[in-house]
Amino acid sequence: MTQPLLSIDDLHKSYGSEEVLEGVGLEMDQGDVTVLIGPSGSGKSTLLRCVNRLTEINSGRIALDGQDVTGAETDVNELRKQVGMVFQDFNLFAHLTALENVTLGPKKVLGMDAADAEAAGRNHLEQVGLLEQADSYPAELSGGQKQRVGIARALAMDPELLLFDEPTSALDPELVGEVVEVMRDLADEGITMLVVSHEMDFARSAASDIVFLDDGEIVEHGPPEQLFQNPTADRTEQFLSRLHAHEETA
Amino acid sequence: MAAILLQAADWLFVIDNMGLLLGGTVVTIALTVASILLGFVVGFPAGAIEVYGSDRARRVVEQIGVVLRGTPLLVIIMILYFGLSISSSAFVTATIALGLRSAAYQSQIFRGALQSVDDGQLEAARAVAMSRFEAIRHVVVPQALRRSVPGFQNEFTIVLKDTSIAIVIGIGELLTTGQNLYEGGQSTAALEIFLAVSLVYFVLTFATNRSLDRLSDYYAVPEGTT
Amino acid sequence: MSTAESTTSPNPGLWDRIGTVFTVRPLTVGLALFWVWVLARWTTDFVLAGVSGFDRGTPFIPAAPFLTTADAVASLATPLGAAGAPLVWVADTLRFTADATAYLPALAHGIWTTILLTVFSVCLGFTLALPLSVVRVYGGRWARWLALSYTELIRGTPLLAQLFVLYFATSLTQVLRGVPGVGVGFVPAQAFWVAVISFTLNSAAYQSEYLRASLESVDGGQLTAARAIGLSKLEGIRYVVVPQGLRLALPSWTNELVYLIKYSSLASFITVQELYGRTSTIANETYQYTELFVLVAILYLALVVSASALMDRVESHAATAGVGHTRQ
Ligand SMILES: Nc1ncnc2c1ncn2[C@@H]1O[C@H](COP(=O)(O)OP(=O)(O)O)[C@@H](O)[C@H]1O
Ligand SMILES: [Mg+2]
Repeated sequence: MTQPLLSIDDLHKSYGSEEVLEGVGLEMDQGDVTVLIGPSGSGKSTLLRCVNRLTEINSGRIALDGQDVTGAETDVNELRKQVGMVFQDFNLFAHLTALENVTLGPKKVLGMDAADAEAAGRNHLEQVGLLEQADSYPAELSGGQKQRVGIARALAMDPELLLFDEPTSALDPELVGEVVEVMRDLADEGITMLVVSHEMDFARSAASDIVFLDDGEIVEHGPPEQLFQNPTADRTEQFLSRLHAHEETA
Repeated sequence: MAAILLQAADWLFVIDNMGLLLGGTVVTIALTVASILLGFVVGFPAGAIEVYGSDRARRVVEQIGVVLRGTPLLVIIMILYFGLSISSSAFVTATIALGLRSAAYQSQIFRGALQSVDDGQLEAARAVAMSRFEAIRHVVVPQALRRSVPGFQNEFTIVLKDTSIAIVIGIGELLTTGQNLYEGGQSTAALEIFLAVSLVYFVLTFATNRSLDRLSDYYAVPEGTT
Repeated sequence: MSTAESTTSPNPGLWDRIGTVFTVRPLTVGLALFWVWVLARWTTDFVLAGVSGFDRGTPFIPAAPFLTTADAVASLATPLGAAGAPLVWVADTLRFTADATAYLPALAHGIWTTILLTVFSVCLGFTLALPLSVVRVYGGRWARWLALSYTELIRGTPLLAQLFVLYFATSLTQVLRGVPGVGVGFVPAQAFWVAVISFTLNSAAYQSEYLRASLESVDGGQLTAARAIGLSKLEGIRYVVVPQGLRLALPSWTNELVYLIKYSSLASFITVQELYGRTSTIANETYQYTELFVLVAILYLALVVSASALMDRVESHAATAGVGHTRQ
C-alpha cells in the first residue's frame, strides 16, 4: 500500500483560549488537488500555515511522505523546500525583479549557481506566461501578473506540495482568469496542490476533492460533483447557496 | 553692511589664506566621513537589535540611545577627551564622539525602516525555506536600506555641521581654522572669514544632499504594492 | 481581538506591580526631585535672597557627611589592596558628591539660563517661522524663493558658525550693550541676547520647515471650502489651514525643544554662563572633568526628558479627533 503524500491527523490549534482548529484530519495522495472551502474565520489559512509551519500546532500529527512535520527535531527549512506557498496578497519581494524573485530561493537556499538558477527561473516564468516581464519590478506588474510570479517563485523550489491561500481574492475580477488558468495547467501536470479558494470554476474543473471547513472542523469531504450537487450536511448546503448567490451578484 | 562687505583688503586676506581654509575643509570632510562610517557600523546593528533582538538586548540598546541622544555633543566630547581620555588624538576622540552619537540617531533611522517593511515579505522569504537570518539579510535589509536614504541624508548633513563643535578640543577643522585666522591674523576680517567658512559648509551640505539624491535615484526600485 | 485581551488578566499580579514600582517610578521620582531642587534653588537665590538678605548660593546639602563616609569607606579599602578597587571608587564618588554640593547652586543658575535661552528662541523663532512657512506655501514666486533661500542657507551651515558671525563679525554686541537695561538686575548681559538672536534665526528656519510640511499636508479642499463661505485667501489660511497645520506640527516641537536645550550649550563659546558654561568653568578650575561632565549630562537628560514629557501632555491635550497626531 502506498502511503499518502500528506496526512493530517487530529490537528488542534488554538490562539490563546480560542480553538481555531478542533481536530482536523485530511489525506492527500501524490497528484491530488484538494480545494478547501469555508466561511471567513473558519481556520482555512491556519490549516495551510500549519502544513509548512509558518504556524506551530498545539497537538495532532502532520506527515509529509511519512516524515513527521511538526516534531521539534524537524528542520523547518528542509520542510519548506518540499512545500511551496502562494499568498493571497502576493508578498513578492519588492526590491527584486520578477526573475530575481523566482531565483532568490534556488540561489540562497538550494545553492544553485546564478546561471542555472536563471535558466530554470526563465522556464518557470515561461510556464506562467511571464517571460517577457522577467525584468519588471513587482510595482510594475498587474495583480494577476504578480500572482503568477508568486506561483513561479513557489514552483522554482521544485516542491512536492503547493499550498495556495486564496490566490485570487485580492484580484480584480477580470484578472482572476489568468491565474486560475495557470493553476489548472499545474493541476493537469499532476502537481499536488492544497488550495483555499472559492473559485467555483477551478473547483469544479480541477479539484479531485473538496473539503468544507467550518468553525475549525471538517464538516464534509468528497469529490466535487458529490459535494456540490448532493451535500449531506445542512451547513454545507447553506454555505454553498450563499456562495452561489454571491457569484451571481458579482 | 555693504561698506563692510566691500572691504577689499579683508577679502584679500581670506584669499591669501585659501590654502589654510582648504586644509580645514579636508579635515572637516575626513571627520565627517569617519564619524558617519562609525555611526553606521554601530548604528545599523543597534537598529536591528531594537527590531529583532531579545527583550533585554533591546532595552539595553534603547537606553544607551536615549542617553546619547539626550546629551549635548559638547558634553560627550568633553567626557571622552578630558574625562576618560580615551585617546590622546583629538581627531580620534572627535570621531568617536560624533560617531557614537550618530549611531544613536542612525539606529532610529534603520529601526524605522526595518519596521516599515511589510511582515509578508519576511513570511514569503521563510516560505521559500530561508532561515530567519537569511530572510532578514536578503529580503528585509535591502528594502530597509533604500528606505533609510532620506533619514541618512539628513543625518549626514547634521554630522557635517556638528564637526564644527570639535573646535572645543582644537582640531584643525574648518571653523577652528577660521577662528585661528581671526584671532591670530586679521581681526578686521572677521566677517569675511566667517562668511567664507559658512559658504564652504553650505557648499558641502548642498553637494552631499545632491550626491545622495543621485545615489538613491540610481538604486531606486519602483515602489508600490507587492 | 478577544484572544489577546483574555490572555492578560485584568488584575495585575504581584510581579507586575513590583515591576511598575521599580521600573517606572525611579524616573518619575528622579525627575520630581530634580524639579523640587531646581525650583527651591531659584526661589532662595532669586527671590528670598533679595527679600531677606539670605546668602545666595548656600548649599542645601552639607558636604561633611559625604566626606566622613568617604573616609570610612576608604579606610575599609586600604587593607584589601587591589581587591578594594570598587570601594575606592565608591569613596571617590562620595568625595566628588561632597564637592558637588558646592557646585550645584551654580549649576541651578546655569539651568535657568539654559531654559531662558531655549524658551526665548523657540517662541521668537516661531513668530518668524509662521510667516516664513505661509510664504513658502502660498507666497508669490519671488517671496517663495526668498524664504527658501533663507531656510536653506541657515540649515546648510553650522549653528556655531552663525553664532560666530553674529558675535565676532558684527557690531551686534556693542549695539546691545548700549540698550538700556541689558545686563542690569535680572536682565542678562549682551552675549546672552546675541545667543538668543542667533538661536532664534536658526530655529525659525527649522520650524518653518516643520510648519511648511504640516501646512502642505492639510487637505487642499479645506482652503477651497473656506473661500466658498466667503473668506478671503488670507483669512482662509489664518482661520482654517493654520489651526489644522499647527496641530499637525506639534510633534516637531518636541524635537525643536530638545534640539535647543542641547545646542544652547554652544552659547558658552561666546561667554554665556548657561548650564554647560558653568560646568566647564568649574571643571577648568578643579580638573574634575569626568565627574562634572557626567553630572551635567544627567542634568541635561533631566531637562530633555522633562521637555518630552511636557510636550506629550500638550499633544494629547491639543489632539482633536481626526486632526493630527492620534495617540495609540
Ligand atoms: N496570529 C493569530 N493570532 C490570533 N488569532 C488568529 C491569528 N491568526 C488567525 N487567528 C484567528 O483564527 C481564526 C481563523 O483564522 P484563519 O485561519 O485566518 O481563517 P480563514 O483563513 O478561514 O478566514 C480567526 O478567528 C482568526 O481571528
Ligand atoms: Mg484566510
